[in-house]
Amino acid sequence: MPPIVSVRELRKSYGQIAAVDGVSFDVAEREVFALLGPNGAGKTTTVEILEGLRQADSGTALVAGVDVRKDPSGVKERIGVQLQQSAFPENFLAKEIVDLFALFYGRRVDSLALLRAVGLEDKAKAKSEKLSGGQRQRLSIAVAMVNEPQVLFLDEPTTGLDPQGRRNLWELIRAIRERGTTVFLTTHYLDEAEVLCDRVAIMDNGRIVALDSPRALVTSLLGRGFSKPVQQQQANLEDVFLDLTGHALRED
Amino acid sequence: MRQVLGYTLMLLRAYTRDFTALFFGFFFPLIFMGLFGILNFGSFGHVAVGIVDEANNADSQAFRAGLGKIETLQLSSGTSDAQLDSLRKGDRDIVLVIPADFKITPARQGAVVPTLTLYANQGRGEQVAVGSAILTQVIDQMSFAITQTAPVVAMKREEVAGRNLKYVDFLTPGIVGMTIMLLGVSSVMFSFVVDRQRGVIRRIMATPISRRSYMAAHVLERLLLAVVQVLILLAVAVFAFKVSIVGSLGLLLAIAILGSVLFLCLGFAVTGFVTTENQAPAILQLVTLPQMFLSGVFFSRDAVPAFLKPVSDVLPLTFLNDALRQVSTAGAGILDVGRDLIGIVVWSVITFVIAFRFFKLES
Repeated sequence: MPPIVSVRELRKSYGQIAAVDGVSFDVAEREVFALLGPNGAGKTTTVEILEGLRQADSGTALVAGVDVRKDPSGVKERIGVQLQQSAFPENFLAKEIVDLFALFYGRRVDSLALLRAVGLEDKAKAKSEKLSGGQRQRLSIAVAMVNEPQVLFLDEPTTGLDPQGRRNLWELIRAIRERGTTVFLTTHYLDEAEVLCDRVAIMDNGRIVALDSPRALVTSLLGRGFSKPVQQQQANLEDVFLDLTGHALRED
Repeated sequence: MRQVLGYTLMLLRAYTRDFTALFFGFFFPLIFMGLFGILNFGSFGHVAVGIVDEANNADSQAFRAGLGKIETLQLSSGTSDAQLDSLRKGDRDIVLVIPADFKITPARQGAVVPTLTLYANQGRGEQVAVGSAILTQVIDQMSFAITQTAPVVAMKREEVAGRNLKYVDFLTPGIVGMTIMLLGVSSVMFSFVVDRQRGVIRRIMATPISRRSYMAAHVLERLLLAVVQVLILLAVAVFAFKVSIVGSLGLLLAIAILGSVLFLCLGFAVTGFVTTENQAPAILQLVTLPQMFLSGVFFSRDAVPAFLKPVSDVLPLTFLNDALRQVSTAGAGILDVGRDLIGIVVWSVITFVIAFRFFKLES
């Protein structure tokens, strides 16, 4: 099966700074793939090129069989996106936001079913700007699914969420993958990449410095003789937090 | 097309939930109209008297000179036809005809006395009462001065139904013009600056909708809003303030839509230079305040000082207000306001070019 995302020698500079500096990788269908890296590594620029929002200076990118440079709107038809710094228009109800974006794809959808899938059915009649951070992230995933995308791009989906919210979103992402959608996400939370992803690419200074499954990356690190100076704990502070406050999602 | 219309309707529905926008867009202009309508500026001040001097002799000239000294009277003179026409249009409160045989001499028994005719504007009772009292007094004084007797001229009075321009009649088209300007500029500026800053537009541009469709829906929504708003303003003016709209309502709406296009273009042009939410109110004031005072919204442009006149003459809102006012108060047809319409179109083109060059959907 051909890869659903195929990137070759992608480059993008802003003035003197090379934000993306010769990046190549493939993503297989139904994979959960993460681009990992510190802030400013070039993750968002890479993703936005794949989403048809930015033009690369050079290199090729095929998404769902479509060349992003030649047919950005063809790519937009086939993917779902959640942008890092974006918002929905004000004074729209959650249900209307879903209908509105369906209209942008020229589709009619069962907006309540989409909201139900992300656990927001009871917020259908709430203004989107009145939702909590986690609810807004879930709404934006519902919106990203209106066109039944082949690839779902999520740019730092769990940033700013509490531990319950993050776990809930992970469940959602797994469910989406189960339905046959490829998920491409960026994150700087390593635990997130470890539990969610089939493969991760670690990016730094515009380049990919490692690409493999989380387990293989750890194994190869250990193989190079690495050992942690402190003894491995059986639980960490997050486990304590979740034990005390529960896994249930908070509606703040 | 279905996309554009669907999006337009959804924008309108969202607009009805935006109480701030509703307040400033719809109620604010009504408050203005109510306030100024109740204050009723320009209700009194002077009595406009038209003199038709058919005698034009020493006595009639002395009489007119006497009238000229009285500040309350605003005198004009001309032929009988012209003055009576002005009276019917509501530009005169009184027209006084001095007969050809006018003279002030001691009365003789049984002689025919010259008779002045006073045409009174029916709708201006207050002005007519004051004016005719002054006129009678002047005649009496002259008679006593010359002949030491009671008046030797008679005065007969006729009532004429004039079409009187109340202040609120004058004000209404000004408020309509102002509202179109404020709605046009502010609705573009605030929503696009905010949506651009918050990443709303960026998110929408990640879908396949074209920029053209996106813009078309936003422009269409605002044009529809402007029409609704103008209709509400006119309805309140007509039913609550008894404003009489003389010209065609259709033409008035057509001019309003044309004006709305102009101020939307101006809004997009200006928004090209606004990058943050904080700059928006200042820039809005900069663009709209001069026009509120120099384009004849509340007062006639006659009050504009001479050195500002050249500026006032070419402001966008001046053309819109003039056109609206001429249709609304004087029943002008499309050809009568041709000059104003050309002004609006020229401004639309200029602002469109600037908008096209500088307005960006994304920062």
